[in-house]
Amino acid sequence: MKLASEIMDHPVLWVLAFVIVLIVIFQAIIFIRISKKVAPEVGLTNKEVTSIIRTGAISSLGPSFAIIIVAIALITLIGEPTTMMRIGIVGSAPIETVGASLGAEAAGEQLSDKNFSAQAFTAAAWTMCLGGMGWLLVTALFTKSLGRLQTKLTSGGGSRAKWLSVVSTAAMIGAFGYFGGGQIAKGMNETIIFLVALLVMPAIMWAAQRFNQNWLREWSLGLVILVGMSVGYFLI
Amino acid sequence: MVVLERHTTVASPAKSEENFAAFHSQAHFWGRLTIWGVIICTIAFPLYLSFGLGYHPGWSVILTGFLSYGAVVAIIWFVEPISYYPILGVSGTYLAFLTGNIGNMCLPSASIAQSIVKAEPGTRKGEVTATLAISAASIVNTTMLIVVILGGSYLINALPESIRASFSFVLPAIFGGVLAQFALKKPVWGIGAIALGIFAALGPVPPSFQTFICIAGTVIFAVILEKMKASEQAS
Repeated sequence: MKLASEIMDHPVLWVLAFVIVLIVIFQAIIFIRISKKVAPEVGLTNKEVTSIIRTGAISSLGPSFAIIIVAIALITLIGEPTTMMRIGIVGSAPIETVGASLGAEAAGEQLSDKNFSAQAFTAAAWTMCLGGMGWLLVTALFTKSLGRLQTKLTSGGGSRAKWLSVVSTAAMIGAFGYFGGGQIAKGMNETIIFLVALLVMPAIMWAAQRFNQNWLREWSLGLVILVGMSVGYFLI
Repeated sequence: MVVLERHTTVASPAKSEENFAAFHSQAHFWGRLTIWGVIICTIAFPLYLSFGLGYHPGWSVILTGFLSYGAVVAIIWFVEPISYYPILGVSGTYLAFLTGNIGNMCLPSASIAQSIVKAEPGTRKGEVTATLAISAASIVNTTMLIVVILGGSYLINALPESIRASFSFVLPAIFGGVLAQFALKKPVWGIGAIALGIFAALGPVPPSFQTFICIAGTVIFAVILEKMKASEQAS
């Protein structure tokens, strides 16, 4: 049986991943161009446009660095091209990990297994790609009508919007409870790391608020991963 | 001079209306074109693995994976674009939902830029400002990702075995950290979810039902709690 690690960095996967991230960059360049054209009409000077672009670029540095640590970690699980195409478009590293884990489990394997097979990797890729496509399809098809839908959902006492948010938040927490429970069932080391992460995260959030350091919030998951790996390093 | 000035101020509202409509139709055109392009690549990727390389795991496996993942994310597909739309506008939505990192990158970048040029979110000036800021953020983020991916593989290969082994603890760290982040907002839901998670993993629950039990269980638990809170407030 072919191992996933033998096909993860196939050239065709690299090409597809590069096309995807280049489309993302191309889209941003196009949107800067059409925005610049309309900028004087909405009362923005050339100087302000430059300042906005610089602000956007600088503000993205913090989150981008935080994403890096998570992305490097994902590489060990699903390989470089898949990591690049998943992290390059909508969907965060944790949610992609969820997708990959569920896909691998559907094929009866575990993502971090040493003999993770090519078939299970393909199942993981399908799950991540189909799952992530939802956002793209909704955006491509419904952006025009989103405005109307928004007012419809949030009007009428706002209770429908509230329950929608209750259900989706609870579904998310439930999913991470499932994965957490799975890690605890795996063994003592995983349980310790899980509990450490569970305690370190609120500590970081508390510190970010107490000392008013917003970058700490952006770095929170990256730091938790680093702490978890360090603890794990001394456990094994 | 006076006549000319008056002429421009009278003519500009209608012209600016027209130009802004043109901006939106360009945003729709390029936004849809790029997103459909990515959708096609996104399908081509697993299709190639399945049939180009011949590692097809079977449609039932794919469906099982997709359905259990869908149980987690399907609601978010609709909730996120809807809830962010008023802040992002048409062009911002196309950008943010292609590049991702909406909560941690796009929205902060846009709102800082808006405060610098004193533009209110939801206005035309606000939308153009957000579009420019998110575009710049997207370019920086994506470029950095490409560099890190290309260099990252080298970095991983250069790491000693003991450190590479500790990467296997990334998963419990991510799951614990994210659960804690949610639990800060909803601690009781978090406790319920982790109790269900441990029960599903160790208890007599068939594997294919584990995800469903945890998600549906937590949703029911949360809805009951919220209903109780609502009736308490009413009385």
